[in-house]
Amino acid sequence: MDLHSYPHGEHGRFEQIFNQFLLKSLHIILDSRVPMNRPPSRGGEIRKSDRWFNLVLGDRPAAMDSLSFWNRSLMEPMVIDIILVQESRDSLSEHDSRSTLATEMPAETVIERWVVQYEHQRSMAPQIGDAFYKKTYKKSIILLRSVYSMLRLLPAYKAFRKQQSFKQNCGFEINYKICSFGSPLLRSEEESMKNYSFIPIDAQQGRLSVSVMYREDLSDFNLDSCVSHPIEIISDYVGSPLTDPMRAFPCTLSEKGHSISFQTRGRQSAPPSPFQRPHSWSSGLQRELSPQQGQPYSASPPLYRSPYEYSSSPTEAYIQRNQNQRFPANQKAPCDEILSPPFSSSPSPSPPTKSVIPFHNRRHPETAPMSIPHPMIARSPRYLSPNLSDPSRNSLPPLSPRNTKYDSSSHESPSGIRSIRRLDSARTGEMSNTPTNAGPKLSRDSKEDSGRFSSLLSSSSSPRVGFSRTSSRLSFQDDFGDCDCPFIVDDVDPPDNQTSSNLDARNCSEVSSLAPSTIKKSQDAAVGALVHMLKTAPALRQESCYYNTQSSKTEFEGEVGAASEFFKPRKTSDAFEELKVYRQMKDLLLSKSAAHLVSKEKTEF
Amino acid sequence: MNCEVCQLKELDVEHFEIREVLRCILHTILFHRALGLVRPKDIDLELFEITYVQCGDVELERKIDEKIEQFIDRVEKHPNKKNQICLSFYEVKNKQPTWFTNKVERLYWEQWYINLNVAQHQKGHSGKSSTSKIVVNPGAEERTVRRAALEASLRDVLFQIIRFVNEKKDHIPPVPNLEGVSFPYEITISSSSDSAFGMEMFKRMLQTGHPTMLS
Repeated sequence: MDLHSYPHGEHGRFEQIFNQFLLKSLHIILDSRVPMNRPPSRGGEIRKSDRWFNLVLGDRPAAMDSLSFWNRSLMEPMVIDIILVQESRDSLSEHDSRSTLATEMPAETVIERWVVQYEHQRSMAPQIGDAFYKKTYKKSIILLRSVYSMLRLLPAYKAFRKQQSFKQNCGFEINYKICSFGSPLLRSEEESMKNYSFIPIDAQQGRLSVSVMYREDLSDFNLDSCVSHPIEIISDYVGSPLTDPMRAFPCTLSEKGHSISFQTRGRQSAPPSPFQRPHSWSSGLQRELSPQQGQPYSASPPLYRSPYEYSSSPTEAYIQRNQNQRFPANQKAPCDEILSPPFSSSPSPSPPTKSVIPFHNRRHPETAPMSIPHPMIARSPRYLSPNLSDPSRNSLPPLSPRNTKYDSSSHESPSGIRSIRRLDSARTGEMSNTPTNAGPKLSRDSKEDSGRFSSLLSSSSSPRVGFSRTSSRLSFQDDFGDCDCPFIVDDVDPPDNQTSSNLDARNCSEVSSLAPSTIKKSQDAAVGALVHMLKTAPALRQESCYYNTQSSKTEFEGEVGAASEFFKPRKTSDAFEELKVYRQMKDLLLSKSAAHLVSKEKTEF
Repeated sequence: MNCEVCQLKELDVEHFEIREVLRCILHTILFHRALGLVRPKDIDLELFEITYVQCGDVELERKIDEKIEQFIDRVEKHPNKKNQICLSFYEVKNKQPTWFTNKVERLYWEQWYINLNVAQHQKGHSGKSSTSKIVVNPGAEERTVRRAALEASLRDVLFQIIRFVNEKKDHIPPVPNLEGVSFPYEITISSSSDSAFGMEMFKRMLQTGHPTMLS
C-alpha cells in the first residue's frame, strides 16, 4: 500500500483509527480472556482511550504499555493466541513429538486465535473524504461491540471465568501471545477449531477485518475440576512489633487484643521478606492487581514480550506519543459531527517497519510485564497522592501526623520522577543511607502513600484511584504494602522496639513539632502498652492459690478469665487441685442436702 | 432507506424463563445499537451459563423490564398463542403539519422479531395437556435436557444477532443521540392470532416505503 499518495492528514487519521482499533480490540480480548490483566473496576473518570469507539473499558492491561504499535505497518496483522496451560497428567497425543516431555512440561493448547488485520486491496479505489472515514469509524464501533459480545459467547469465556474465580486452584491457566503472524497449529488442533470471521469494514484502500478460530469443545481439558478456594490459614501471621518490628502489623491488631496469642508462633517462623509475603489484611482485589505479589514463589520473568518492542529509543518515542494522546490537554477539539473519533493533535507518522519474530510466551502464567517506570511518570503523581482529589478522604483511616505532613509535601512536589526515586530508594533499603535529609522523608512518604493505598483499596468508595495502576507500579506499591504498619511509622512505638531506629529517631523529632493525631496514636499506643505490660507482667503462678478456695469463687472466675486472657498454660497439678475443690463442693452440697432431708423428715414426724 | 428485518429463531420457553431470555436478547440487540459512549456491563444469566452485555443505562433497563412485564401479562392472558416481541428502530421525520394531523412520521429502518413459544402450565390449562399422556411434573432428566436445548438455542439466537449486526451496517442512519441507545426505538408485543398484529405489520410496511414481504 502506497502510504504517500494520499493527503497526509487523511491517511494520518485513518492510520490513527486503525491503530486505536488494534489497541481497543486487544484490550477487549485481554480483558475477557486473561484474568490477571483484568482491571477490577471501571468506575470513575473516562479517559481518552475510552472515548475511542465509545467503549469504556477502563484501564488498559499492563502488557499493552509495552507494545509499540506505532512501529507496525498497516500490512501486518495482529495475531492474538489465547493459550490454555495445563499440567499434563497423561501423555499427549501420539503425533506430538514432545510427548515424552509432556509429563515434565505443562501442556499448552491454543484455544483461540484472534486475527485483526488490514487487508490491502489494490483493485479497490481509494476511499477518501470526511464522510467516508466517519462511516468507517461508525462501522468500527459496531464491529467492536460484536467482538465484545462474541468473546462472552465463545467457550473460552467459561475457562476465563473459572480461572478468575478459582485463581490458582483451577488446575489450569490462561496465557496469551501476540505476534504479527500465527504459529502453525497442529492438524488435530485445526480440525477441532471453528472459524468465524466478522464482516470486514471497508477502509481507505482495503478492508479492516477481525476473525477468530476457536475450539468449540473444551471438555477434553476437564476444566470443571476446579477446587473451590480453600480457606487460607496464614501460618506466618505477624506478631507484635515488639518481637519483630520490621514485620507489618495488621490493622486488626488494634481491635482485638487476643491476637497476641500468635506472638509466640510468629517468633518461630522465619520472617518472610516484606516485599513478597501476602498479607492477611490485603484484599483479594489487591492481590489480583499485583500478579507479582500474588505469586511470590514464582521467579519467572514477565510472561510476555511483545514482538513490537524495539530498542529503548523507539519505545520512549512511543511512550511520548502515547502520553500526548492520552492527556486531554493535547486533545484536538471534537469534530463537528456527533460521532467522530477523538483524534489527537499530532497524527502519527508511519515509518516502515520490519516483521519481528514473535517471542513465545513463557510457561509461567505471570502476565505482568517488566516494569517500565517511564510511562508512569506522568501519571504517578495522581496515584501517589490520591488524597489530594479523593473525595472520600474522610473515610480513610486517620493518618499519623507525619502522614499529614508528607501529603502536603507530596502535593508540593508532584514530579513523578521524584516519586519513582522515593520508591526506588525505599525498595533498595536505602532509607537510612540517603545523604540528604529528604531521603527518609521521601521513603517514608512512599511507604505511607502505599499504606494509604492499601487502606484505599479496602475502604474507599472510589477505588479506581488505587486500582488505576499498572502491575509494574503495583510491584512497587505492594512492596510497601507490607510496611503499611501503624507501628513502624508511628511515633509512639515502645522504647524497646527494634524498628529501623534511624528512621524512627528522625521522625520522632518531626512528630513533636506536628499537631498530635490522638486517635491513631492512642490506639496504637494502647496496644503497644498492653503488649509491653503483658511481657513484663509477673507470672500468674503466684495467684494460683486463689483457685483453691471456695469463698473466693468469684475471684476464681475472674482469675480464670484473666488467665484465659493471658493464655497461661496450666499444669496437671492445677487441674487436680481444681478437681479437689469441685469434689469438696460436691460433698458439701450433698451433705447439706442430706441434712436438710433428715431435718425435714424429723419435722414431719 | 431499507428496513432490515431480522426474524430470530423461535424459542420454547417456560414461564419462569421468559424474563431472563427476553432481557438477554433485547439487551444484546440494544448494546449493538447504542453507539454512544457506553460502559458495558456483563450480566450472567441465572438459569443458563450465558453472559450477555448491557449498555449500563438505567433508564433502558427500566424500559425493558417494563415491556417484559407487559409481555408476561399478555402471555398469561393469551396462553394458547405464540407471542412475539418486536424491537424496532426508526428515524423521526417531521411531517408537515396539516389541518388534521400534526404527527411526526416514523421511518423504520430495522426490526427485530423475537418469537417465543411459551409452554403452558399443566395445572389449570387444558390446552396442551389434552393428550392422553398426562405428565404432571416432567422428570428431572427431561427438564435438564430441555434446559440444555434452550441454552443452546439462546446461544444460537445471540450468534444470530451478532451475525446480523455485522452483515447489515449500511442501512444505519446518522446517529442522532450519543446518550444511551443512540436511535429512537420502540418495543411492541403481539400474538400470532391477534388481528391487530397483522394490521400493525402492514402499517409499518407502508410507512417504511420498502415493504420487505412484498418484494
